[in-house]
Amino acid sequence: MARSITMGQYIPGDSIIHQLNPRFKIITLIMVLALLFLLETLAALVVSLCAALALFALAGVSFNYLLRGLRPILYISIFALIIYFFFTPGGVVLFRIGFLTVESEGVEQGIFIIARLVALVLFSLLVTLTTTPLSLTHGMAYFFSPLQRLGFPAEEMAMIMAVALRFIPTLMEESQRLMRAQQARGADFETGSIVKRARNLVPLIVPLFVSAFRRADELATAMEARGFRIGAKRTRMQDDRIAFKDWTALAVILVLIVLVLTFNF
Amino acid sequence: MYIGTEQLTHTYMPGTPFATEALQDITFNLKQGCFALIIGPSGSGKSTLIQHLNGLLKPTAGQVFFAGQSTGSDKKALLNLRKKIGLVFQMPEEQFFSETVFDEIAFAPRNQGLGEKEVAKRVSDAFKKTGLKSAGLLKRHPFQLSAGQKRLVAIAAVLSLNPEVLILDEPTVALDLESKNNLFNLLAKLNRKEGLTVIVSTHHLDDVAALADTALVLNQGRLMLWGPLEEVFSRRELLHEMGLSLPAVTEIMHSLAESGFPVNTAVYTIQKAQQEIMAAKKRG
Repeated sequence: MARSITMGQYIPGDSIIHQLNPRFKIITLIMVLALLFLLETLAALVVSLCAALALFALAGVSFNYLLRGLRPILYISIFALIIYFFFTPGGVVLFRIGFLTVESEGVEQGIFIIARLVALVLFSLLVTLTTTPLSLTHGMAYFFSPLQRLGFPAEEMAMIMAVALRFIPTLMEESQRLMRAQQARGADFETGSIVKRARNLVPLIVPLFVSAFRRADELATAMEARGFRIGAKRTRMQDDRIAFKDWTALAVILVLIVLVLTFNF
Repeated sequence: MYIGTEQLTHTYMPGTPFATEALQDITFNLKQGCFALIIGPSGSGKSTLIQHLNGLLKPTAGQVFFAGQSTGSDKKALLNLRKKIGLVFQMPEEQFFSETVFDEIAFAPRNQGLGEKEVAKRVSDAFKKTGLKSAGLLKRHPFQLSAGQKRLVAIAAVLSLNPEVLILDEPTVALDLESKNNLFNLLAKLNRKEGLTVIVSTHHLDDVAALADTALVLNQGRLMLWGPLEEVFSRRELLHEMGLSLPAVTEIMHSLAESGFPVNTAVYTIQKAQQEIMAAKKRG
């Protein structure tokens, strides 16, 4: 694939979830993640999973992105399942393979852990898929701003994050372009031993560094030319006041949390 | 048919909300030894098309042909294809990574697994072809060269593949007039003396038009027209609609013709324009 999509990357849309205030989304996400860690029954987790899927449908994000987002936890899930299935004693013996036994307690715990993991990833994906990295960063900066009084450079950290996020796609595109340019000169990035492949990356990494430094230099000059100064008070183009729909969404989430909790006993 | 495509379509990131059709249904073919221009405004798909010709990008649909055969998708065949079709990317000096100009030019032949003796020969041949003087340059760091020298070294770094076809993507971007002229002389020499098939993409037609014999016009991923240069250039209105203009000299000749001065408008150099105007004056 020529231009790939990073996991959890923002997918443009105009659903109600896309429009919610990023600060609100961060707070709710933290609440939900905390809730998921507190849950003790599988039923409650299943209800949360259903809620996550319903919210995804509401956000209008295609099912494909869900699967793509879950792919990175596939191996850790399989590994965890095996460990729980074979090495957790207790309950009824379901079957044996040689000296290993699978007991009901282990199966239950394994499924429970995976369900929790999937739920954690799904809710986090829901936020990152529907919020631009920039507004997420501004949202984060808001929560860190009280620390500004103690000398913590919250504004500057937000700026660094925003710039870094901004340049990820640029650098990805650049590296793919460079890769093709060197392939046109006969470079091989796909075959050979690990050592050979690492050495073959030099023609890619050196130009990438050179251009990253050049870009950084140009960006710094451009920012200064537009009056950027460290420590100066900045205003934002987007107005991120909390609106009525944010309170409504908060109410809905609270109802969902209560609903999930009723299944927890 | 020497090199060309048939109903070539390319979609970036298919199946996502970011999907963009970069090329749609492109069919053309070029003769061996020709000098072709790929003309189009920026974002018209020139770079995407070029990267299909040596197999760096794979068609979403359709086919690419070279020497009468479909290039297919076999890895080994594509590696071979890239030895025969040299591609110089836009701003090729941004790919430099070696500590000397020699190593930079030697990268391609070394990748082919040639012995150091053969590599040295390829490097000096390619270096000489570019018309760069002073062998001392080969020992310098590539970043120490001037912009024009860098561009020529970058082209030498592709010529060291000994390609049959040389494709250049916007080769004159960010060059001064003198470097541009050096570059055009090099391309003319490669095409006429060495018999290389040359394909150049550009959105700026001045100067390079005089060298070419064939042109393709791309707009928004579609091939608007292609054929002998004079035929393509005779469709001036169509080119203007796409925001492209003919070489300045040619535009002047068109203006003269429109105001009733009987001149031939298929003129791409100042010298020829001068002769044409003098001749037309004599005719009365």
